Amino acid sequence: MNQAINVEQLNSALSSLRTVRSNVSLVFETLSNGLRADHGEDGKDKFLMELQELLYIVSNNLRDLEQTVNALPIPVPFNLGNTTYLSQETTQDRQALYTQLVNSYKWTDKIHEYSSFAQTLLSQNSLKRSYINSGSTKRRGKLQSNHNVAPLQVDNVINNIDRSYNDMKITISRPFASNAVVSINLSHVLKAVVAFKGLLMEWVMVKGYGETLDLWTESRHHVFRKVTESAHAAMLHFYSPTLPELAVRSFMTWLHSYVNLFSDPCKKCGCHLHHTSLLPPAWRDFRTLEPFHDECKQ
Amino acid sequence: MKRGKATIICEVKNGSYSQYPVPENKTGTYVIELLTKRILALGASQQGQFLVDCESYLSHPQMGTTKTVHILHNSEQPASVFSILESGTKNIHVIADGLFDLLMMKLSQHYTSKKQTKIESKGPRFELGDFCVKLGSVTMNQNFKGILVEVEYRPCVMANAVWGLLREFLQGLLGPTVPVQPTQHLMSRMNEIYTPIDTIYQYLEHFSAYRKVTGMRNN
Ligand SMILES: [Zn+2]
Repeated sequence: MNQAINVEQLNSALSSLRTVRSNVSLVFETLSNGLRADHGEDGKDKFLMELQELLYIVSNNLRDLEQTVNALPIPVPFNLGNTTYLSQETTQDRQALYTQLVNSYKWTDKIHEYSSFAQTLLSQNSLKRSYINSGSTKRRGKLQSNHNVAPLQVDNVINNIDRSYNDMKITISRPFASNAVVSINLSHVLKAVVAFKGLLMEWVMVKGYGETLDLWTESRHHVFRKVTESAHAAMLHFYSPTLPELAVRSFMTWLHSYVNLFSDPCKKCGCHLHHTSLLPPAWRDFRTLEPFHDECKQ
Repeated sequence: MKRGKATIICEVKNGSYSQYPVPENKTGTYVIELLTKRILALGASQQGQFLVDCESYLSHPQMGTTKTVHILHNSEQPASVFSILESGTKNIHVIADGLFDLLMMKLSQHYTSKKQTKIESKGPRFELGDFCVKLGSVTMNQNFKGILVEVEYRPCVMANAVWGLLREFLQGLLGPTVPVQPTQHLMSRMNEIYTPIDTIYQYLEHFSAYRKVTGMRNN
């Protein structure tokens, strides 16, 4: 609704701008033609009167334009990220990039919209073998783009989660433009790094306490490679394009349950180490957060 | 100083092998071979040998109260020399590089080595998943004293968190009846971040116990 009015206002503003332009060019045309035969003998006065009339029209048009422009809502500053610099591009053949960019943006937007519909449909038809929060479809708010969220909002969400744990430290960095890369220190047990796109989690890597953290190299310990695997499963399980904040919070709660990775035995077999893999219970149930061996979970 | 990994050293007592009749004169080799077979059956791969040795020095009586300095080497940290000075209730340790051995030689006027108590634990080293297992036969003056099994769990840096897991592993390897107890030193460091010197302290505690047993026998 709001948008329709905006377009109408914008149209009328543009058409009054057009009127101003054409009338101004009429003034100059008349002026350059000078005295014409049809002005007669009193040509000079008639000419001046004609000019005055034209100028009067122009000033009226100008007033109209000002009015319509003032009526337009002031646009909110738009965060274009790195694309802002495209306007400063001097090379001729690269100036076409902007159109391509806009096109690809439209495509991503469409994909996002379709995937949201797909997600709704899929959660209604239970294809998933694990639990589904059917509640999320009911509480679904309006469709919004969650991969393009202001950095400040992302910071707020993550800092709120950080404050709710004493033994889990979460720090945000932005090595790649505006998207957050979050590193998590869970007590003396593990470290994890999560790459965000807006508020959506895109990648997780889990490593040991003494290891150096980066996005791509795997841990040298078997157990943390297994936990990374579980974390990927959890990231996909909690994924919710319509309620991204809930997804992040659920994931962090789940990850926090690894604080007892080495100390708690498996809920099913009661052992610390699985007899064939010799790994501790590296799986946490999504709902109960109870520890299980990969081989022991249902 | 690098961070270490939670490690436990457990003594294998002959008693725990009651179901395997062990010949009196070749206890050590027999048990090591048996444990090697077991650990290989679990899927471990042998990664060379290891050696931990300890030599103790006594300060000269002229220097006041006699003090003991233990010098230890561990093949896991080949560039380091660990020294522990016993002073009353508190032990002071220094970790230095190889030159420390030469320094001790220079100090021979003030510190005399108790050569007859030079003791070491030596044997095969295995890697099994995230575990590193070392089967050491302990010898003092070429005399076989016993077997120490060292189990290191590399992903974890806190002994307290991983204690149950280590005990389960050791009992799986040595038999469910084997008592697995932390050494005095480890008890006091359960909630700290584990460092290589903690392994050294554990060995020293076991070595001292072996030395005492001999002393009693000699008496
Ligand atoms: Zn289990």
